[in-house]
Amino acid sequence: MTRGVTIRRRLIPYWLLAPGAIWLALFFVVPMYFMGELALRSGTPAIGFTFDWAWSNFPDSLDGNTEQIVRSFYYSGVATVLALLIAYPLAYAIAQASERWRPLLLFAVIAPFFTTYLIRTIAWKTILADSSPVVDVLRTLALVPDDGRVLATSGAVIAGLTYNFLPFMILPIYASIERLDMRLVEAAKDLYASSRQAFLRVTLPITAPGIVAGVLLTFIPAFGDYVNAAILGGTNQAMIGNRIQSLYLFQRDYPEAAALSFLMMALILIMVVVYIRLAGTEASMGEEDEGR
Amino acid sequence: MKAATRTLVVAALMLAAALVAAACGSEDTIGGGNQGEVQVAKAGKPTGDITISNWPGYIDPGKNGTVAEFEDKFDVNVSHIEDVNDNVQFFGKLQPQLEQGQSGGRSLFVVTDWMAKQMYDLGYLQELNHPDLKTVFDNIRPELEKSESDPQRKFSIPWQGGLTGIWVDTKKAPEIKSVDDLFDPKYKGKVTMLTEMRDTVPLILQSQGIDVDEATKEDWLAAIDRLKEAADSGQIRRFTGNEYTEDLTSGNVVAAIGWSGDASLIGREGVEWRKPTDGCDLFFDQMVIPAGAPNTAAALAFMNFVYRPEVQADIAEYVNYVTPVEGVQEILTKRDPELGQNPLIFPPAGLTKGCSGDPDPPGDAKDQQEVTEAFQDVITG
Repeated sequence: MTRGVTIRRRLIPYWLLAPGAIWLALFFVVPMYFMGELALRSGTPAIGFTFDWAWSNFPDSLDGNTEQIVRSFYYSGVATVLALLIAYPLAYAIAQASERWRPLLLFAVIAPFFTTYLIRTIAWKTILADSSPVVDVLRTLALVPDDGRVLATSGAVIAGLTYNFLPFMILPIYASIERLDMRLVEAAKDLYASSRQAFLRVTLPITAPGIVAGVLLTFIPAFGDYVNAAILGGTNQAMIGNRIQSLYLFQRDYPEAAALSFLMMALILIMVVVYIRLAGTEASMGEEDEGR
Repeated sequence: MKAATRTLVVAALMLAAALVAAACGSEDTIGGGNQGEVQVAKAGKPTGDITISNWPGYIDPGKNGTVAEFEDKFDVNVSHIEDVNDNVQFFGKLQPQLEQGQSGGRSLFVVTDWMAKQMYDLGYLQELNHPDLKTVFDNIRPELEKSESDPQRKFSIPWQGGLTGIWVDTKKAPEIKSVDDLFDPKYKGKVTMLTEMRDTVPLILQSQGIDVDEATKEDWLAAIDRLKEAADSGQIRRFTGNEYTEDLTSGNVVAAIGWSGDASLIGREGVEWRKPTDGCDLFFDQMVIPAGAPNTAAALAFMNFVYRPEVQADIAEYVNYVTPVEGVQEILTKRDPELGQNPLIFPPAGLTKGCSGDPDPPGDAKDQQEVTEAFQDVITG
């Protein structure tokens, strides 16, 4: 009797894992299996693709796409840095705001999400149109050449990425700043730290988990994005997502598209590992410290 | 091992496992034709629901529009969705379903003639029984009773036709008259071209003085090279589907390769469609019924309905494309003499002379694939 109870108790964590595991199996492992199988097929769109261990799809899929891969890194990297620079002070300000204002400010961050991603991006087309007031102002400030434009440039794509993924940066950083015990900062100052030192030695390390999470949540989806480049970009501004879309929908070369998607996933995975190693697992696992 | 590393290792193993699991890959083919038997669209009394896929702005909308009128006359509920923006992309989206003999719930869609033929050859379309389409064949313009892509009208009924040429902002770029003019550095970054290869490349070929019917694969690749140079230099702002009209509306571009009937989509004064002096392209979009389509009776009824001259007159008046129906000119002339003479709806022989159709690239499937890839490389450069 008592034995039965202990076994049951031991099984509880696994039962709790089950919904997540089933979800992952259904929507990650199964599609992944089909993608993997697809990536090893060969043939043509007209006669169809048959399975024959076509490993060559993997190197072939990189052929002619390296430029777009590098560009995707560049665009999403710049967008992530910009988002961080915008998000950190903003999150800090929200966290420091009075209890009364905080919900409203947070709501303002999330409010744009009530409109779909696509509509918001298309709205940018109007905002950045060649003869729009915004662009006129930028021209007056000499930030854009007189005969220059904003729409259909790399700048527009990066701006779109930054805008669309900004909340994913703000929210985790806000969560970590909100938990920051201001007494620690005060203590640092009592110990003759300058404001700058207190920030660099106390605030930043404590809020690092939020930054790491924010960077991952921004960079990963931005890297694979194709909507911003398709709507706000011009010629020679395609990202790797656009290439995969073209392979799937226009060229209907499913195996190569699947192989390329696989490689991009592997690439992101490696980068995340390296990044977490560099940023310190401590930082990403900040909650563990707190529990101690 | 740190928890994060452990998670990542597990994720990596899952990826690897998925690949290994592919070892037991099935023998069946993905892509390619529909192996099922060719269906013939069933006629009957039109009732129920029907979904039609069409290009944006390709039918008169609203309460008194053709769709609403059709719903009134018959006991049918129409969902008219404008989700065809580019033939190849639309096909790419639906192909996995078409291959399984499914139509994605659609009973009818409008694609360009070459795409209709490609779909038919893959077994994705139903055949049409002429007696079921009496109104169509009573009223179709005689020269359209046959077409190169469908000599017996077995699977496609003309929807509207048009010319691919250039839309010009008459104030900002009055002197653009040819495709070649679009490459003038004066208009750098103010010009767009179409993602439809069969529209854009033949126009470039003609601007280079090449007869499209005689063009070789090398000619196509050379024309694509010219596009690539212009894209790299920033001459071409972007490659678009129907949304080129938005850039013209907001004044982002001064000229664009575009379709003759899109005035309603651009929706402003001061832009004008011109037949390029160095070539043109003539296409006819077709109504087709996909294999596995539900409610073919309503689809056939819709085809007959839009071939009633008075119904077609409403469509022609709104879309300004070349109408396939006899007797429309008389009706429109009565409504507005100027409209009855509109060369974009009723093109005189001189306007369409020497126009290319939307040709496939030359050569076998492999050559065509090579050309398609080269073109895709430029538009998603």
